[in-house]
Amino acid sequence: MSETQIETAAVLDARGLLCPMPIVKTAKKMKELEPGQVLKLIATDRGSLADVPAWANSTGNELLERYEEGDAFVFFLRKGEEV
Amino acid sequence: MPEHEKLVVMVTHGPEDPEIATIPFAMAGAAVASDVEVVMGFQGDGCELVRKGVAETVHADEFAPLGELLETIKEMGGQLLVCSPCVKKRHLTEDDLVQGAEIVAAGRFVAEVTSATNSLVY
Repeated sequence: MSETQIETAAVLDARGLLCPMPIVKTAKKMKELEPGQVLKLIATDRGSLADVPAWANSTGNELLERYEEGDAFVFFLRKGEEV
Repeated sequence: MPEHEKLVVMVTHGPEDPEIATIPFAMAGAAVASDVEVVMGFQGDGCELVRKGVAETVHADEFAPLGELLETIKEMGGQLLVCSPCVKKRHLTEDDLVQGAEIVAAGRFVAEVTSATNSLVY
């Protein structure tokens, strides 16, 4: 559990989604945000632990924080600059 | 941001093996989500996966359903290229294939692979 107080512009509940849909849904949701805004992603697919950081790194977005909450993984992703 | 990248994913297994049929779609789905241009190539029994009505019947454990992955890849700009002699052998025409699937020959596959950043073959 984290006491993080990151201001989020949107929340994506990806619980129950299987590989690779958590990052697919994340990519779509991020397109709705402005650069600098933060998305909170909640996923239960264990693959997300490796997938989300790799996705963020390859797409120019920033993983600010992650933690586990029960059986879910929570990520805070800041949208990078558009190309 | 990274430079433009392109991934070619070749599919040669059909619905008889749901896991190996689904993995290339999972890879392609992850790629389109990562702003990578994706070209999927279907050869041999892989052609069966882009027959209308087939993808929806394939679901490997622990993977997203193949039908959902196919729709995602199409929606996010992935191309679907299908081997001409392979579909001919199976007595299929473009009308038998999912919308957006394009029947091509070996030369086009070669052009796609040689212009790609990387290729995967399943």
